[in-house]
Amino acid sequence: MKGAGYIFDAIVVGAGPAGSSAAYTLARKGFKVLVVERGRTPGSKNMFGGRVYADPIREVFPNLNKSAPIHRWVTKERISMVSGEKMTSLEFEGKKNVSFTTYLTELSNWMAKQVEEAGGIVLTEITVDNFIVKDGRVKGIRVGNEEVFSDVVIDAEGINRLLLERAGLIPRITPNYAGLGVKEVIKLSKEDIEKNFGLGSGEGIAWLLIGDIMEGLPGGAFLYTNKDSISLGIVVMLGSAMERMKEHISRYVERLRLHPLLEKYFREGRIMEYSAHLVPEYVWPAIPHRLYGDGFLVAGDAAGLLLNLGYNFRGVDFASYSGYLAAQAVEKAHSLGGMSAENLSIYQELLEKSFILRELRKFKNAPKMRKNERLYDFYPYLINAIADKIFHAKYETPKIMDAFKEANKGRIGWFTLIRDLYEVSRSI
Amino acid sequence: MSVAKDERVKKEKPMKVDDILNNDIWDVDYEPHIRVDSEKCRKCKNKPCLYLCPAQCYTLVGNEVLFSYEGCLECGTCRVICPENAITWNYPVSGRGIHYRFS
Amino acid sequence: MLNIVVGIKWVPNTTLVNIDPRTGTLIREGISSIVNPHDLVAVEMALRLKNEYGGTVTVITMSPPSAIAGLEHVIGMGADRGILVSDRAFAGADTLATSYALAKTMERLDYNLIVFGQETIDSSTAHIGAQVASWLKIPYIYYVTEARYIEDRNIIRVKRALENAYETYELELPALISVAMHSLNPRRVSIYNKLRVKLESPIETWSNEILGLEKNCIGLKGSPTALAKIEMIPKVLRKNEVFKGNDVKKAARWLVKKLLEEGLIEI
Repeated sequence: MKGAGYIFDAIVVGAGPAGSSAAYTLARKGFKVLVVERGRTPGSKNMFGGRVYADPIREVFPNLNKSAPIHRWVTKERISMVSGEKMTSLEFEGKKNVSFTTYLTELSNWMAKQVEEAGGIVLTEITVDNFIVKDGRVKGIRVGNEEVFSDVVIDAEGINRLLLERAGLIPRITPNYAGLGVKEVIKLSKEDIEKNFGLGSGEGIAWLLIGDIMEGLPGGAFLYTNKDSISLGIVVMLGSAMERMKEHISRYVERLRLHPLLEKYFREGRIMEYSAHLVPEYVWPAIPHRLYGDGFLVAGDAAGLLLNLGYNFRGVDFASYSGYLAAQAVEKAHSLGGMSAENLSIYQELLEKSFILRELRKFKNAPKMRKNERLYDFYPYLINAIADKIFHAKYETPKIMDAFKEANKGRIGWFTLIRDLYEVSRSI
Repeated sequence: MSVAKDERVKKEKPMKVDDILNNDIWDVDYEPHIRVDSEKCRKCKNKPCLYLCPAQCYTLVGNEVLFSYEGCLECGTCRVICPENAITWNYPVSGRGIHYRFS
Repeated sequence: MLNIVVGIKWVPNTTLVNIDPRTGTLIREGISSIVNPHDLVAVEMALRLKNEYGGTVTVITMSPPSAIAGLEHVIGMGADRGILVSDRAFAGADTLATSYALAKTMERLDYNLIVFGQETIDSSTAHIGAQVASWLKIPYIYYVTEARYIEDRNIIRVKRALENAYETYELELPALISVAMHSLNPRRVSIYNKLRVKLESPIETWSNEILGLEKNCIGLKGSPTALAKIEMIPKVLRKNEVFKGNDVKKAARWLVKKLLEEGLIEI
């Protein structure tokens, strides 16, 4: 059949940060690369919280600062504990360009353009149905009844990873290893954003909130300022949400939007988009699968590479850098004579040596710590009750210890408190 | 047609999920990319899809779950959480389905 | 053999239509474009005819260069050739100037059948097919749901659906048909075809330098249609009342009473 003669050095499935980073790196090294993307444009199926850490991505795309769609550099970090109409916050301000806000839709599109400029081919509107697997080796992709072959396939299809599952290479993701992020993007003028959040021109805030906005569900809320909009959303853990959610998930986002302490920041806004996406929540190093095999590598969300510490999320830079490492592994395997699992196993080594697996191992207790329900319910209440007694004292100010005792009402013992504090500081 | 004024963030009443979804763009596929095995579905007591599908594609009519794929955000949650494993989920083809622009 | 030309339009995806309350205009920010869905039905019919009787399918559109993505989509479906008719001189064209430029483009192609969609989702005039047929002086029929080529008589036999009847017509070729919306499901995009348009036969762009059309017949100058005014239809607020209770008979009586009171029914 016509077109059947197309053969590539590498086929990359998915033009997200992981896929485009892999393809860009390979194309620059002279490999014949094909990227297939199911969306109408790269990024049109993608969604994230709102913030990207720049340095790992700049290592992959040196011209990041020059031409990428950077909305605002994050200069303000705020973490808030919310209970009722009270909120206690910790705020940090500094002017280094470490992370920025953007739309992942725009960033993915930009990355795919870099791939094309480097000589890679990006095809949109192509949904891959299956890998071609022969004698246990991935040989290419199948789209409908058409087949395209390559020496290696880099799977960067995202968290649902249907292809890996269908090929029997990875088991289905389970509710205990996934979170659900839901967000509203709210249009707000550049001026209103800078005025309302106390930001300079081009500066942004990353704001994370925990407490009873989530009605005691393990999870948190986030707010990021973009150029002329804000990203407002929540992340819940599917396992616990399945058991305990009482209302439709959009209600939780709505409560956040209408919260009396928050709505003043974006009262004049208008919802531009509503989106949802799953988030991997692995407990490392207990990954249930290998990230390489005969003729294939797995990168990004499909590989479960995301760090969630509660106060920061690192998905895009992990994805991008894992794609970059996958490309390096392909180059190395090529010099060793082929894309066998043995030659590609260098990918695992590269990941181990990189910040990605070092970070995930370092914070391996974070997912367990985040399951401690007192963090979402009792501690926000306690801290706000203490703050209320101290700051809203009319005549006499209580000592902190007395305020604590009064707020606690014997509900939590010293032992539990100290153990939780220890767990938190040990985990993150 | 909806008027932007109606979508101001501050509202007296809660917004319907449909009204929020009105801000999104789809090019709906001709064939459903999700299939639900209604026999298996009937066995399920908790039906977490009713709460957790962000687009509320699953609604309860009487005792049966009514399903529509048109407003799907393609997050994949339903497939992962379905206790009866009743959901067959595919990616839509030819670029159809949700088209995010600002996420 | 059928050498088919299909005309398509690159339109804003109007599943999202927000009106700015201050200016009364469409909020177009970030609206993505798609191939007019009714035109995909026309492409599908053309591809089926080509598969059955042999020949070629050429797709043309008059649009700014962003429509190349739309032409690539229909080539992905299986069309052989894509032509973008694009020039600043064509800007501001109404249906008359558009159909003129399209007809003049088609004259340069070796065709015996032209296929259009029923109408577009962004303007719904359904003018273009009829106007192109008039410029080319060829027979035209609309609402076509099925078509068969009878080669030895050089005709196309089409079925069209009316409200309460099917009609069958025979048109001598060359002819123009417009296909009834929803009569076929457009096929899936093929990766081989997508690779072919990307690597081997990219979309051609024809400017007015190639076509050499009279300035008075194209663009704003060639467009006698003037849009006088757009008025928003005021939102009608409906009364609503809910009957509370479980008694079905009572509910029915209550409903009839209410409808009588409002003068909506008579006994």
